[in-house]
Amino acid sequence: MEQNQTPQFKPVSEMTYNQAVGELDAILRTMQSDTCDIDRLTAYTRRATELLKECRSRLTATDEELRTILADLDAQK
Amino acid sequence: MNSALTLSQLNRRVAQALSASPLQGVWVVAELSDLRVSHGHCYMELMEKDPSTGSVLARLRGVIWASTFPRLNAEFFGVTGRRLESGLKVMVCGSVNYHSAFGMSFVITAIDPSYTMGEAERRRREIIDRLTREGVIGMNRELEWPDVALRVAVISASGAAGYGDFINQLFHNQERLRFSVRLFPAVMQGDRTSPSVISALEAIAAEQEEYDCVVIIRGGGATSDLLAFDDYNLALNVAQFPLPVVIGIGHERDTTVLDYVANMRVKTPTAAAEWLIARGTAAMDRLRRIASDIMLTASDIIAGAQTRLAYLDSALSLAPEAAMQRAKASLQRATIMLAETGARRISPEMARLEATGKAVGTAAFNATARALDRLRSRRDLLAALSPEATLSRGYSITMVNGRAVRSVSDLKPGDVITTTVADGTVDSIVNQTQSK
Repeated sequence: MEQNQTPQFKPVSEMTYNQAVGELDAILRTMQSDTCDIDRLTAYTRRATELLKECRSRLTATDEELRTILADLDAQK
Repeated sequence: MNSALTLSQLNRRVAQALSASPLQGVWVVAELSDLRVSHGHCYMELMEKDPSTGSVLARLRGVIWASTFPRLNAEFFGVTGRRLESGLKVMVCGSVNYHSAFGMSFVITAIDPSYTMGEAERRRREIIDRLTREGVIGMNRELEWPDVALRVAVISASGAAGYGDFINQLFHNQERLRFSVRLFPAVMQGDRTSPSVISALEAIAAEQEEYDCVVIIRGGGATSDLLAFDDYNLALNVAQFPLPVVIGIGHERDTTVLDYVANMRVKTPTAAAEWLIARGTAAMDRLRRIASDIMLTASDIIAGAQTRLAYLDSALSLAPEAAMQRAKASLQRATIMLAETGARRISPEMARLEATGKAVGTAAFNATARALDRLRSRRDLLAALSPEATLSRGYSITMVNGRAVRSVSDLKPGDVITTTVADGTVDSIVNQTQSK
């Protein structure tokens, strides 16, 4: 039996985008394999959600951020 | 010395000499310099430079009169997409003209735009060949893009329409991709283009960790002056630049050397923005795909586990009875099998036994019959050999003292002998004996 039912994950803020997406792929592969432990399913999906959220937020900006960026660009002109 | 000419007389003679047909309507190749338009007339210097040193070998003033300039200019633009301008190499047809006050000039009446096209192409080819020889031509093209390219360094003329188009397109994308853009202004036309763009590239390289890519754009203006981008030094800088370079300076039919060395070539600034957005959108799509795959997989796993639980649940409640049934059934099966096995194995034994019995009987009977036969034949033989048979044939047996007489020496006179015949005995006394 494993010592620890919950795998240890690196904080998402310390990861590069590529690392985060790479881990998402790895989680998906593990879940799709026959060895996926149902006890870990919750941990995996929670981690995946966290990674997805982080990746999305790195790619996209909020309305407010967009406004700020556009204002900065106007000032640059 | 009375025969001396006035200057105007001399010039008239020069003019006369120059009007000879070999100097009229000739085609000449030259590079344009100091080109300017005044009162509809186009003035320029025609030059020939040493290809290796660049020093001027020949020079002649040229002019296109206002009566022909608009037509020539339009014709030239129609083919090359360029206005006549300094730096172009041209093939022109004209006549040498000598004006008494203004001196010699070349009056241009026709132009062959295809020469200029070919010349620009040849020059581009030369630069490309050189970059290829030096092994740098593909360096920028082979750079790998980061998964997400959101931090963009832009080289453009500040305030140019093309830059505005780019920004507008980039920040009004549906995915709300978080682009960050910094402008590195540069001169985008004329002789200063190459050094200006190169220094902008150097400024970006100095903080290259801050950016994912470089976008060089120019647009919104006339399709002229792309020649400035066909520059070896500029192409070399772009080719060796450590970040992928997107180039959007041309229009559809124009290509410059930069199009061959840059990582990505697009037609317009807007297209450059669209291309970056497409990359970001692809990254978003990938995230969406992963998210839905993970969701589906998780629900599959849960559904699978529930199915198994349900199965185990029903299987467990039925298990004891099922086990009983199974045990009973197997007991029954065993009984039947045992019975079948008994019958199957005993009856052949019985048959064999029966057969053996019969065989024994037959054999005994036969043996007895044979024995009887033998006995019968012996009895017959015995009967044939018996004393009675012999006696009845007339033979007799003589006995003395209870023993059969076989020799005369067995007897002496006076012995009482008993003679047996077939139907009785005769006692006699021996008279005498005599041997044969």
